[in-house]
Amino acid sequence: MSSNPRTHITHSDAGHIARLEQKRGKIFSRTGGWFPGKGVYCHGYSMLEELVGKKSYFQILVLNATGKLIDKPLADWIEGIYGCLSWPDPRIWCNQIGALAGAARTSVVAATTMGSLAADSRSYGPYTLLAGVEFIQDALRQHQAGASAEAIVEKITAANRGKPYIVGYIRPIAKGDERLEAMEKFGKKLGFSVGPHLALAYDIEQVLLRRFDEGMNINGYMSAFLSDQGFTAAEVYQMFAGMVASGVTACYLDTYHRSPDTFLPLRCEDIDYQGAAPRRVPDAD
Amino acid sequence: MAEEPKHDQVRSRNEPFTSRTATRIWAEHPSEDNPYIAAKVFCHGYDLIELMEKRSFVDVFYLLFRGELPHRNEAQLLQSLMIALINPGPRHPAVRAAMNVGVGKTDPVHILPIATAVLGGAHRGGGEIEAAMRFLRKHQHDAPTAVAQTILQSRPSADHSTGFGEHFGGVDLMAKTIVQQLLTLPAAGEILRWGNRLAEELEPHGLGWLTTGIAAAVFADLGFHPRAGGCLYQLLGAPGLVAHGLELANKPITAMPFVSDEDYVIES
Repeated sequence: MSSNPRTHITHSDAGHIARLEQKRGKIFSRTGGWFPGKGVYCHGYSMLEELVGKKSYFQILVLNATGKLIDKPLADWIEGIYGCLSWPDPRIWCNQIGALAGAARTSVVAATTMGSLAADSRSYGPYTLLAGVEFIQDALRQHQAGASAEAIVEKITAANRGKPYIVGYIRPIAKGDERLEAMEKFGKKLGFSVGPHLALAYDIEQVLLRRFDEGMNINGYMSAFLSDQGFTAAEVYQMFAGMVASGVTACYLDTYHRSPDTFLPLRCEDIDYQGAAPRRVPDAD
Repeated sequence: MAEEPKHDQVRSRNEPFTSRTATRIWAEHPSEDNPYIAAKVFCHGYDLIELMEKRSFVDVFYLLFRGELPHRNEAQLLQSLMIALINPGPRHPAVRAAMNVGVGKTDPVHILPIATAVLGGAHRGGGEIEAAMRFLRKHQHDAPTAVAQTILQSRPSADHSTGFGEHFGGVDLMAKTIVQQLLTLPAAGEILRWGNRLAEELEPHGLGWLTTGIAAAVFADLGFHPRAGGCLYQLLGAPGLVAHGLELANKPITAMPFVSDEDYVIES
């Protein structure tokens, strides 16, 4: 410990300390809370009197994620697309976390949550929805200012050495996306029409198909659809934080019920070592 | 929907995936009669058993990430940083998360992944390190006075991604003291020294080194890639997270405060 008191000076902002003092020992919530014997509140609603049994799980999920209580058809659409976003194939990266976790005998909750965390990726999963929604909302602003779908695509390809790198279009592993038609049929059944974001998204897809043989993927579709429903990029990311969970659980269970070490077993030689050749360890100097 | 949208037929891209995952880090030589059982393992070419005989944990930690064994002075600097970062402290959100895991009777094996995820955040966590390393590498030849002015002008909206800033409204004294200790070491590098000149410029304004900035500076001086910085920060703080989580794992739930209804305020 230094004996010089000057070394303990922090040049702190007294106002900042006062603001912290006001918050000590207290919780301030803009969301809600549980008051034993009185009730549970969520964004101003009494959960047990106004939500449970009266609103669907997906209405409550979106309420928690955005603070918005949406209508049932939109919640049904979101539930529908959740079914498109997670399937039990352990070749998908996040699902393989589940499969490996099952092989390693973790708990199902560890597997499911860690697989969901793995989908917080720049390549796929909920994080990409941020860029997907931002793209289509920016594109619509450009379109309303006079830019055609062709011009919007051209601007992006020119900035990417001729490559049409647009989140929401182009997909790893496969070209095209079989989920679009299923969701379009379901959306129609629920009574939704094509809004301005989705209409532009389709126009952009036609440009990409014609020029690059690349189509829209589920991210592009849901980003445009949900933009038409008034959601921001952050809200969409928040609503879909757990979107891959059920497929991860399924992949976990498949390997959990098999013998350990039997999921894609690797011989030593199945790893391609490309590093330094064997060498003597020098003594520490 | 008036007209059915037209999409492309779904087709596999048939991308040329590799048949084997490659690594430059670790080699496992199989036993004679079972190709799944390794008889010898090598880290960047060094036999693991020989490393156990001859080198310290810090040496092998450095080797694992950098590919070569460190000079004695580099190992000393890294070890000092590892000690400095070994525990974010019981008031840090990541440690508090670990304590919640412990007191909540969650399986102790969940303490580490939960708390390190929190330690990966972009405030006082690993999420700051890559940006801070890039900031330090970019500005290490600029005049600290000019850089300090830029940081001060961006207040109060400035985030912590430079590795410098306010800590609870003032200068983080422990961070400052840790840097003074690191600067006594022979391997203390140019970036750490430049950062300290910047911190001196900022100090009268209530800003200074952040713990994340120290980590970023030392990682950069030791040659770690900025992309590795966040993970390394999580690794180095992990022992403290686990220790605090375990400390509460056999305590009753009443061993941590539970905010009363009177102090729980729902804002409209």
